[in-house]
Order: sequence, then C-alpha cells, then structure tokens
Amino acid sequence: MSAQALRKTLIVFAAIGVCLGAYLTYVHYSGVTPPCSIKGNPCSQVQKSKYSELVGVPVALMGLIGYIAILASLLAPDSERMRFATMAFALGGFGFSMYLTYRELFTLHKICEWCVGSAVIITIIMCLSVWRFLLGDTPSPGPAEATLDQSAPAGVA
Amino acid sequence: MSSVDEDQEDLTRKERREQARAQRKAVEEAEVASAARKRRLGQLGIVAAVVIVAIVVILIATGGGSSTPTTTGKASEETVALVNSEIGGIPQNGNTIGNPNAPVTIQYFGDLECPVCREFTLGALPTIMQQWVKTGKVKIEYKSLETATREPEVFKTQQVAALAAGKQNLMWNYIELFYHQQGEEGSGYVTEAYLQGLAKQIPALNNAKWMSARNEAALSSQVEAEGQAAASAGFNGTPSFLIGKTGGGMQKLEHISLTDPAPFNEAIEKLLKEG
Repeated sequence: MSAQALRKTLIVFAAIGVCLGAYLTYVHYSGVTPPCSIKGNPCSQVQKSKYSELVGVPVALMGLIGYIAILASLLAPDSERMRFATMAFALGGFGFSMYLTYRELFTLHKICEWCVGSAVIITIIMCLSVWRFLLGDTPSPGPAEATLDQSAPAGVA
Repeated sequence: MSSVDEDQEDLTRKERREQARAQRKAVEEAEVASAARKRRLGQLGIVAAVVIVAIVVILIATGGGSSTPTTTGKASEETVALVNSEIGGIPQNGNTIGNPNAPVTIQYFGDLECPVCREFTLGALPTIMQQWVKTGKVKIEYKSLETATREPEVFKTQQVAALAAGKQNLMWNYIELFYHQQGEEGSGYVTEAYLQGLAKQIPALNNAKWMSARNEAALSSQVEAEGQAAASAGFNGTPSFLIGKTGGGMQKLEHISLTDPAPFNEAIEKLLKEG
C-alpha cells in the first residue's frame, strides 16, 4: 500500500471514529439508551457505569477528542512530524481503548458493541499509522500541496 | 600512445570515478535510511512506553481488578451468621418483617445498590430490629425506589430477585445479605452470578422456586408501583421512611440518622402512646 493510500484509508477510519465518538458523547450527555442487540442492553449499563468517566470527563468525549486529533493530523500537510503525531495519538487511543475493554470484560463483566466497534477502529488506525510512520519519507501531498500541484502549469510542478 | 587512446583512458577513469561516487552515495543513503529507521523505531518505543505507563497509572488510580463482591468463603459464613443473629426468628411475610399484628408499621424505601441504605441497614436498623421488631411492636415493609442503581433494568432485576425470595418469606434475608455484601456503587457488580450467589447463602431458600418466581410479572409490577408510591410521597432519595399506626395513615419520618436509632425510637414511642 502506498503512503498516499495509507493516508486516505486512515482518514476514512478516523472520520468513522469521529462519528462514533460524537454519538457516544451525545448518548452520555443526553442519557438516551443506545440501541444494543445483546439482551439486557449492556451498552447502556457500561455507559452509565462509573468507568464511563475519568476524572469527571466522559470517556466518550475523550474518544471524540482523540479521533478529531488523529483526523486533524492526517488532514495537515504531510510531514514526518505529522506522521509522528498521528502515530502517537493512535497509540494513546489504542492504549486507552485496551484499558476500557479490560474494564468491560474483567470489572463490569459486560460487553458494549459500540465500545468494541471503537476498539476495532482505533486498532486499525494504530496499525496503519505505525506502518505509515515507519515507512518514512515517501511523502504524499497534503491537501494544500496537492491543490498547488494541480494548479501549477505543466512543466513547473 | 595516440590522442584517441588517451581520450578513451580518461573516459574510463571518469566512469570509474562516477561509479565510485555513485557507490559512496548509495552507501551514504543506506546509512541515512538505516539511521532514520532506527530513530523512528526509537520514537515509536518511547511513545509506546509512555502510553503503557499512562494506562498502568489510570488502572491503579481507578482501582484494579474485579469489583464483584465475594459471596462465598469464610467472609460469607460470618455475614450469614450475623444476618441470622439480627433477623432470625422474626416472622416474615413477603416484603414485611415483624409481627403481622404489630401496632406500628414502618415503610422503608430503598435501593439495594444504595450505599446510604447500606449504612442505615448496618447502622441503625439492627437496634430497631432488636428493640421494636423482635418484640412484636413494629413491622417493617421494604419498598423499592430507584436511586443509586444507574440502569433501570438492573434495578428491576435485583429488586425482583429480593421480592422472589419474599415468595418464600425470606426477602429480608436476601435484602440483608445484599446490603452486607454490596459492591462499589456504579461498578456493575450486580450480575446474575452475584444475585444467585446471594440466594445460595440462604439455606432455607428453594432455589428452583426462587428462580421461577423471578419471572413473575406481578413482581416487576410491584417494583414499578412502589416507585410510583414513593414519588407520590415526594421521595427522591433513599433510604426514605413512612411511619404510622398499622392500617392507619402514614407520615414521613424525617431528620433520621443512619446510625442512631433515636429518631425512630421517638416516633415509635409517640405512636404507641397514642394507642
């Protein structure tokens, strides 16, 4: 997979993550019961447990902020620094997701489909962003650069 | 040597120099790439280490391990013995404990996951049981009001589990065990295993009948009706109490203490004096 294809794939997954984080943040603050196919709606139980907040901040909101940070680092012009930022945010998000999964399985003894969905997305983002970071200097044009390249006269770009 | 031969020799030398330069460049580029790869791997390792440390700190800060309270072993035997010493021998009927003809009735509105109810149940209640319920002057009805339990379905399940034990006139054993072995609020400790673990600690309870009773729609309706009754009385916290002469009007018992039975004693004595 080329660096550019990696970046585009990551943008898609980060965008899905932002949508998921936004929905779960809405669920947390509105108190609505999220749809869940498992009997007894463990999703609602997980999201109303004391582990749904960390130092008073909803973990859903933390997830939303994390996905936005990942997406922002991907939409910024490509550079080693931005690839590092994406990788660092993704690793942090993956670690936090593993902590939440541990709480679900071994503390609450309940599994939330929405949380599993987010864990899968952040795991994919983490793997791809680490791969992209280690791939190194095969820069793909950022949106701003791409626009410049397309508008440049033939033979100049 | 002709000038043509000299030109060819110069060209070969030039080519050799270029080849050597290209090789040096390739080696340098490989070294630079290798150094960059090592640097990136180092950065990756540092980030991974920071993330691991942060997660371990969060795990420790939020309390590690399972929060399921123990319902087996020596601690369980001691709790069962304590509960038996507190309420053993007192007649029970459904959600009521005490002499059916007791002149005074107290209605205790509680949530089994409520830590404040636990404080009352382990604090002031044993003295009230000893002084007034065992002596046949007061009977206590336990009623459900959701406060601490965050999930309505879990609330109904646990309260119905207690009412189902009441079908065998053992509801108060179940309630007492629940409060004594209560887990951390909001930690999701109320699982099916926990509820069954409580039931198993009541030797007199027929487990098959208890499991069957848990499916009775009437018990679910009773939990709902008690919640509505609490709302009608203006209660929004637990424990809350109504007190009155049996069969007569009930009034709110306010300014209670969780550990001191004195406010209860005063209200009961007053009602008993009124005859």
